[in-house]
Amino acid sequence: MLDRMLAQRDLFTLVGELARKRRIIGPVRRENHFFYEEVADVGTLDLSFNYCVYGPRAFLFPPTETLFTFNRFDHTFTAKPVLDVRPMAFVGVHPCDIHAIRLLDRVFEQDHRDAHYLARRSHTLIVGVDCRTPCTEGVFCADMGTHSAIEGFDVMLYPLHRDGRDDTTFGVMFGSDAGRDWILYSRRGAIPTAADERAFEQYEREKAAAFPRHLRMHANDLPELLDRSYDSLLWEATARRCYSCGSCNLSCPTCYCFNIYDESDLSGTTGRRERTWDGCHLKNFAEVAGGHNFRPRAASRLRHRIYRKAKWVRQRTGLAGCVGCARCDRACTAKINSVEIYNQLAEEA
Amino acid sequence: MKPRIAIFSLTGCEGCSLAILELEDQLLDLLGAVEIVNFREGMTEKDWNIDIGFVDGAVSTSEDEKEVRHFRDKCRILVAIGSCAALGGINTLKHYQGAAGEAEPPVAGNGDVAEYRRYVYGERAEWFPTTKARPISDVVKVDYALPGCPMVKEEFLSFVTSLLAGRTFTLPDFAVCVECKKRGNLCLYEKGIICLGPVTRAGCNAICPTFGSKCEGCRGIVSKEAVAAAGVNLREQYNVSLKDVLDDFRLFGAWQEADLP
Repeated sequence: MLDRMLAQRDLFTLVGELARKRRIIGPVRRENHFFYEEVADVGTLDLSFNYCVYGPRAFLFPPTETLFTFNRFDHTFTAKPVLDVRPMAFVGVHPCDIHAIRLLDRVFEQDHRDAHYLARRSHTLIVGVDCRTPCTEGVFCADMGTHSAIEGFDVMLYPLHRDGRDDTTFGVMFGSDAGRDWILYSRRGAIPTAADERAFEQYEREKAAAFPRHLRMHANDLPELLDRSYDSLLWEATARRCYSCGSCNLSCPTCYCFNIYDESDLSGTTGRRERTWDGCHLKNFAEVAGGHNFRPRAASRLRHRIYRKAKWVRQRTGLAGCVGCARCDRACTAKINSVEIYNQLAEEA
Repeated sequence: MKPRIAIFSLTGCEGCSLAILELEDQLLDLLGAVEIVNFREGMTEKDWNIDIGFVDGAVSTSEDEKEVRHFRDKCRILVAIGSCAALGGINTLKHYQGAAGEAEPPVAGNGDVAEYRRYVYGERAEWFPTTKARPISDVVKVDYALPGCPMVKEEFLSFVTSLLAGRTFTLPDFAVCVECKKRGNLCLYEKGIICLGPVTRAGCNAICPTFGSKCEGCRGIVSKEAVAAAGVNLREQYNVSLKDVLDDFRLFGAWQEADLP
């Protein structure tokens, strides 16, 4: 059921008003690709984007951030936490990335609450845009069940009527009180008619047919498949090509590992504790004090990543660890492909 | 007492020495923390009572060899700065020059080729005997190396800070891709460009790919395993001229002990 109908023109007016209160982050075209960027002019947003090269996670969990600053004067030590509470809005998030953000939410809430992530997240409004067709070749979101989202957004937009770029009319679904208030208080848009609802049903039918499956098994069976594949020769055979460069990790919208270190000034009296993205494909990721490395070989690191994405994260959080966006596959300069890995393992088993 | 620092140059462009002077905003802080006692690029006075010596340039002549042994004797800690001192750098390209009319040698020669010496020094070539170009670690024990062409001045600062604080300093042991992805760049492989980022040690904040140029590996290879993977990919995955890529590998990395693909 749709909550509202909204013309793209009205949507941009609304986003323009939102920009007075929030930083606006959305898809922007650069070098013939799309990237999530903070925009000063909402007119530069392009909601008909195919896919963004990277997910929006960098705005919630920055590549490098200061956790606290510290001072050491006269034998006293003081530290001051750094929290970013600037309100922001993601405008134009596809369902895969909405699933990815839900996973980050779960991870950063579970066990130890991460004040830095949650400060940003609680000040973020998410405006989703649904995908009528797969954004590009090679994505396997439908296999992972992440090509549609029913929660994890404040507002979801369905591009129902598309008569050229400026005349798209969106069916709107509210996902939160904040999203509903934002649209309804604006008094823009219209109540969906019976014809709109029929158009939405038609849209959903077309969408279901438009997403091919690429995996030779159901995503729910991946954990069991991996259980049987720990000693497969495939890991070594594939890892011959692996640079261990971490591009798959760093372009993944659900990777959340980080490293922590201190930076200080030359005198050592003031400084800051920082954290930065890490990745399980990097050689020293599993190195511990004393120099032992639990995963010294590229093959063991490759296997580890696949296990995390398809098995362990799902078991731990109940959510998909991989959202099928294929960013890792595109980012891999050695052309290692996760769907091929799953399918080859299924063939062996 | 403040640590006494010296900065020396062998065969090279002295761009790494210059990089220290380019730390304009931090230079006064730096001079507050250390005392620079010997620095050809920056001062006239010379003192040989030295705690930490930084050396840029490669060992490329027998004179260089004598000098770097002298530096080693006089410095408690010796640090190679820049690709030339740390890896041999572009000086090592001469190993791949053939004599006139000869094809380029498939493996590195001894660098004492009359042809390029005439090219560089003209009629007086015989006045300038040279040896094979080497990183300074080939002649003396080196305590630390800060590679890069030029060295990354922020890394230099971070190195000095670590040393002053008594913390261990280590170079990043991951590839340039990590920093490139953190900057949100479009991967050059998406444009069909063979960039050396996946095999090159990070620490430069991916400055070349960020500004649209492929990584040329000036910080040296990140691991032998990565170079081996490059060999596999160059043969099985990429449709490119192996020679062009080898030329890129040799630009800064000719000296390094990894099997080139």
